[in-house]
Amino acid sequence: MSVAVQDALRSLVARDRDHECDGFGPSRVCVRVVAVAELPTRFGRFRLVGFWNNRDGKEHVAMVHGEVVGGEDVAVRLHSECLTGDVMGSLRCDCRDQLTEGLRTIQREGRGVLLYLRQEGRGIGLLNKIRAYALQEQGLDTVEANQALGFRDDERDYAVAAHMIRSLGMRSVRVVTNNPDKIRQLTQHGVTVSGRIPHVIPPNEYNRFYLETKARRSGHMIDLVEERLPEQSDRVVVEGMPR
Amino acid sequence: MVAEVLVVGGGVSGLACARALAAAGRSVRILDRARGVGGRCATHRLLDMPFDMGVGFLHGQDEGFLSEVRASTERRIEGWPRRVEGSGRPCQPEAFRSGEKRIALADGVRTFPKHLAQGLEVRTAARVERLVLAAGGAGVILEGGEEVRARHLVFALAADQALRLLEGTPDLPRPLAAVRALLDTSSSEPSLAVCAAYPEGTAPPPWDAWYPEGSHVLQYLGNESSKRQPASFVGLVLQAHPGWSRQHLDDPAWPEALLAEAARVAGEWAGHPVAHHAHRWRFARSDLASELAGPILVRLPSGGSVGFCGDRFAPGGGVEAAWVSGRELGRRLAAPEVS
Repeated sequence: MSVAVQDALRSLVARDRDHECDGFGPSRVCVRVVAVAELPTRFGRFRLVGFWNNRDGKEHVAMVHGEVVGGEDVAVRLHSECLTGDVMGSLRCDCRDQLTEGLRTIQREGRGVLLYLRQEGRGIGLLNKIRAYALQEQGLDTVEANQALGFRDDERDYAVAAHMIRSLGMRSVRVVTNNPDKIRQLTQHGVTVSGRIPHVIPPNEYNRFYLETKARRSGHMIDLVEERLPEQSDRVVVEGMPR
Repeated sequence: MVAEVLVVGGGVSGLACARALAAAGRSVRILDRARGVGGRCATHRLLDMPFDMGVGFLHGQDEGFLSEVRASTERRIEGWPRRVEGSGRPCQPEAFRSGEKRIALADGVRTFPKHLAQGLEVRTAARVERLVLAAGGAGVILEGGEEVRARHLVFALAADQALRLLEGTPDLPRPLAAVRALLDTSSSEPSLAVCAAYPEGTAPPPWDAWYPEGSHVLQYLGNESSKRQPASFVGLVLQAHPGWSRQHLDDPAWPEALLAEAARVAGEWAGHPVAHHAHRWRFARSDLASELAGPILVRLPSGGSVGFCGDRFAPGGGVEAAWVSGRELGRRLAAPEVS
């Protein structure tokens, strides 16, 4: 890792010290790069970039691999925090698979950014998620109830993500996603999207049921395909799955 | 004539919802069980001084909310309470976060809902007993048996009261059953309140609001006379902690117990008013752990829809959340795809 790379990212902290703009999206959210540090991980080397924002106490971060400041066609993955999936390995969602595959894709590409958006950082986010799961267990899972529980505020997420991409100085990005709406939303917030990288998860013992339609009715504790909270705005695509 | 939208509850949330609908050209009618609008933004006159029995002051950050509050009256006390005593937990801890604006109204907090109700069709003293679902819409049965129908129905009540109405409705369609289950995951806190007028010559307390740290009874003492300058006498509002309130809801001696605690906390004088008035808030406020992200609007399989807004239906709680969620629900109901 070259010294020049570190300097480009680190210099953003000084640049943003007094940064204040009109903000992105209807809530006019504005972010600043406030801290940068090395983060070696089991998926490869990253640098962790911490952001402050003017709207709430959520501490959004970017995991950066390689030289991205001023870069074009940089691979970018948006991931919304999911404590139960990312950390606890919950099988109610695919967040952990999606997170690790996003990080692998960025390593494969040689450079890229994973924006880790603190969706659950709103104090009661996790409590309401447990409430949503409890409703599901009663067989009740309506879009409206989920919305009331805070699942989810995509619009705000995209505005924050677009500003983070701008702050990292990337001229154009290729979005790692299966969701064309993600590209449309980022474009609307002024991000130059030069391409898309399909987000395909390799099969494993936990997601194999996506490939075997009969497993859908095989008495899984919860019907994992039909009754989901939209933790990530990406549809799950497992390698080998008919698309 | 049957209104397009029937709003049950003429508090700040229901009024904000109705205003958003009226602004979009929809016909809307409001029902409230009390004699006037305002709900928990309640002002009681005692010896001709207004006392804020529920909400003591308004606070928030939302620009739309603050400008609506400021449009309601010139007679505001910006920044009240300025002199805050005690390190007990405030009823609304967010009110004292940085960036939060605090405003008291010189003629009583009910000035705000009265302003919101201007130009709206409000029927008071109408207590809703039951919800009825029928083809093409919904309706409610009032105490006394009268049925009022509408295509769209909005419950702008304390979430517990909305839950009670859903629980009393047989054969709820699935989305409404989900709302019932959702509202059943938490409940509101009660608060017992007394307003008290003290003899002329009583020294004005050197604080606007006091959150005593050493009392498990009293949560808040509001110096009402500091909002009503010039005031000819000292007036306080006393509000009890939710836990103590829950234990004493049905104890007829609670007003005296609250006054005795005021005497212990603030000095002997505070226990001896010349006049006082007591009010029981069964559903005073939602705790922060029960807050929801936004209002709910459920389409009925038979046509029409049922909406829910109120202080639990937006982040932060309190009057600001009530207003924000009401306005958002009104806008959603006014959107062309709903009608």
